[in-house]
Amino acid sequence: MDSLKKFYPWFALLGLAVGGLVLAGYYKDEFREWKRWQRDYNAQELSRAATPEQKEAARALAVELKQIVLPGLQRVDRCTTCHLAVEDPGYAGYKQPLAYHPNHAQHPFEKFGCTICHQGQGRATEREAAHGRVAHWEHPMLAMKYIEASCAKCHAATDVPRSPLLARGRALFDEQGCIGCHKLGGFGGNLGPELDKVGAKRSPEWLAKHFKSPEELVTGSSMPPLKRSDADVEALTLFMLGQTGEQLTEYYVSMKSIPGPELGQRLFAQKGCIGCHSVGGKGGKVGPPLDDVTKRRAADWIVKHFRDPASVSPETVMPKYNFTEPEIRALAAFLGSLTGADVSAFMKIPSQASPIERGRAVYLKFGCGGCHGADGEGGVPNRNAKAHQQIPALTAANDVADVFLESFITEGIPDPAKLDPNGPKPPIYMPAFGDKISEGELADLISYLRSLQPAPNGKP
Amino acid sequence: MKSLKQIWLKFAGTRVGQSIFRVGLPESNLGRMQAMVSSFLLHLHPAKVHRHSLQFSSTLGLGLISLYLFLILCITGVALMFFYVPHPDHAYDNMKDIEFVVSAGMIARNMHRWSAHLMVLCVFLHMCRVFYTGGYKPPREFNWIVGVGLFVMTLVLSFTGYLLPWDQLAFWAITVGTNIAGYAPVVGKKIQFLLLGGNIVGESSLLRFYVLHVILLPAAAVFLIALHLWRVRKDGGLSRPDEPDVLVQQVETGQLATSKTYGLMELARGTSPAVGLKPEDEVPAWPHLVFRELLLFLATMVVVMFLSVFWNAPLEALANPAHPPNPAKAPWYFLGLQELTAYSAFWGGVAVPALLLVALVALPYLDRKRAGVGVWFARERRVAVTLFTICVVAAVILTVIGTYFRGPNWGWVWPWAASAVIPH
Repeated sequence: MDSLKKFYPWFALLGLAVGGLVLAGYYKDEFREWKRWQRDYNAQELSRAATPEQKEAARALAVELKQIVLPGLQRVDRCTTCHLAVEDPGYAGYKQPLAYHPNHAQHPFEKFGCTICHQGQGRATEREAAHGRVAHWEHPMLAMKYIEASCAKCHAATDVPRSPLLARGRALFDEQGCIGCHKLGGFGGNLGPELDKVGAKRSPEWLAKHFKSPEELVTGSSMPPLKRSDADVEALTLFMLGQTGEQLTEYYVSMKSIPGPELGQRLFAQKGCIGCHSVGGKGGKVGPPLDDVTKRRAADWIVKHFRDPASVSPETVMPKYNFTEPEIRALAAFLGSLTGADVSAFMKIPSQASPIERGRAVYLKFGCGGCHGADGEGGVPNRNAKAHQQIPALTAANDVADVFLESFITEGIPDPAKLDPNGPKPPIYMPAFGDKISEGELADLISYLRSLQPAPNGKP
Repeated sequence: MKSLKQIWLKFAGTRVGQSIFRVGLPESNLGRMQAMVSSFLLHLHPAKVHRHSLQFSSTLGLGLISLYLFLILCITGVALMFFYVPHPDHAYDNMKDIEFVVSAGMIARNMHRWSAHLMVLCVFLHMCRVFYTGGYKPPREFNWIVGVGLFVMTLVLSFTGYLLPWDQLAFWAITVGTNIAGYAPVVGKKIQFLLLGGNIVGESSLLRFYVLHVILLPAAAVFLIALHLWRVRKDGGLSRPDEPDVLVQQVETGQLATSKTYGLMELARGTSPAVGLKPEDEVPAWPHLVFRELLLFLATMVVVMFLSVFWNAPLEALANPAHPPNPAKAPWYFLGLQELTAYSAFWGGVAVPALLLVALVALPYLDRKRAGVGVWFARERRVAVTLFTICVVAAVILTVIGTYFRGPNWGWVWPWAASAVIPH
């Protein structure tokens, strides 16, 4: 056989190629972007060190991956591998990634990490991937103008201090009657899709565009465009972004409502405490007045009393309410805030309002305004509907007897009359509310509808 | 170079060296053959090997490359196993950790991925090579069947591994792939259920595919590979053209009398490795075969490493049973079948694959003529070559269509047209 010498150059070439590729692989694996940022930080620390001890500590800083493991949030955040100074106020005003993160006292990093609020890809250690701006990562970092949306993952929208946009979004959601067609939290209509996880599925850009012109993004959508200012569209987008349906563990869910006096006040009204107790001289006489209860009783006693009244006053007739711990804290906070103020200021519960006011509340609750207009003025387009291709106003209720109004509401109008009999079915129809609305609510709603008709003399 | 050899010789000559290698670096042909026979790793080879088998053009090295890829897959696979938990809660996160924080994790995963794809390709090409050179002809019929088994094993190994990253690609490829299995009459749905451990891809599917992928199928593959290589030796080495046997010729022409008793030993007919091998056509496997194998291994490594350093294995979004991509595609090597299922579920999912498999297994028993062994596209085998080529071309065309020309709802798209982005 011929000599193998003719293969020697191939052997050398292939051997070198394998060696070179192994080195290239090693280089790619070893020299990572975050190590540079860590060296920068360590150098920065050394230059800022004033005392010998600090200098020694700075010199001892290693270059190593950092991560916050958050089993309760089902995530691992490695953001602090590069963002090393988030907890050091001395770095306020520094450029990223070495900037200080203000306002984190109530959300300590070891409990919350970063991505639960900011989104992005916590496990990643390369910039673009970590910020989630890569293919196949569905949650890129949330723009700061939408950051309040993340509050809603744990907190009820109306309770969070310092999140006015979220509260505004929630209010718009109610005012616009979105719930008439969409379900949120298991309540609402069936004409549109459920919104419980919409924030996890849709991007802010999609949502904002969709609000302005739904048909452009969803062919055949019967949702009316939102005719509001850009600021309102953003607020509503932000509220939607907060609806991610994320399953959080108890620690985080217990913060769903911040146990402050506002929540306590709502609970106080809902549970009908005023039926037995009085505040500011108004209310029931069965139980003791509560104006000064926090002066008479220790905070500890009040909390125990809420958990189980009989445990601290065996003779009591007060029933045991199954309050959650945050609710108990909220009620205690509310009692502590009482200073003999006029109880009527917070006693505006629906049962004391007029039937028309209560009916208005029912109108909002079921999202009627989503189709019939915020004040029953109608006008939402409904293609090929006989009523001028739009949903009728409710100011014409005067011509209709109560019994018909009732049947419209309870049974709905599944087949609205067509403008062109050969044309397609109008996309929006009146759903049946019979199985949802109570008799009292129905009566109140009709009172409200009657109040919308113009008075005989032409004035409403 | 010289001094390196001397160091080696010195070491091999010591007590320790001798105890390990048993023989020193061979200097004579006898020593070379001893080296092959007495070494555990080398004794799989014959001590001497035919020149025809050594020519690259005879085999294109495809069988060996497949074996090398299998070895790379075993080694990188075991490395990946250290960082992987086969559970939907962890699998995807594990992939992210392998990518971002495990040392050399991404390279290992890339090597595993690209080797797996390359292995499917090489095993297929190896099969084509064996067909086109008539390598399945007697006495190698059974080894062809073992080879068909190894081809199926390669596909199933790759397919079970496909699910493990638990991303959208994995989830829906396996959903589509097992749906194809479900089209079989009577047993289809049962097989699908057995594979998935349920009616849809879920927790138990992942565990099943994992166990199949890391234990059962590799063990079976190792067994089949051993059997395959054993039969290569026992069937008389790689197939090659018949050579006139001088002794037999002499007997037939009456030049050599057969009445002598020694003739019984000399004139054995048939397929024993000794028959027809003329000493001058063979060379010692050491170094001629071993060195070529080493070169081929280096070449395989260059390709795998090159792909792995410069192209990352894909990882899509976390598997979401509620959001099928449109279209959901099976792994590429099944896209030919998926394309067929688009026309007829029965033909694509059942009839065609079953017929192909039966045809492949029956092939050596149907085509029994000895002519054309060891020759590419032998003239005598024109019909067989044409039929096989039609099947291969059809499979390639269908696979290419399924891979590059099918878009949403399995509609036709041009690969260069911008893909319709579904906004969300």
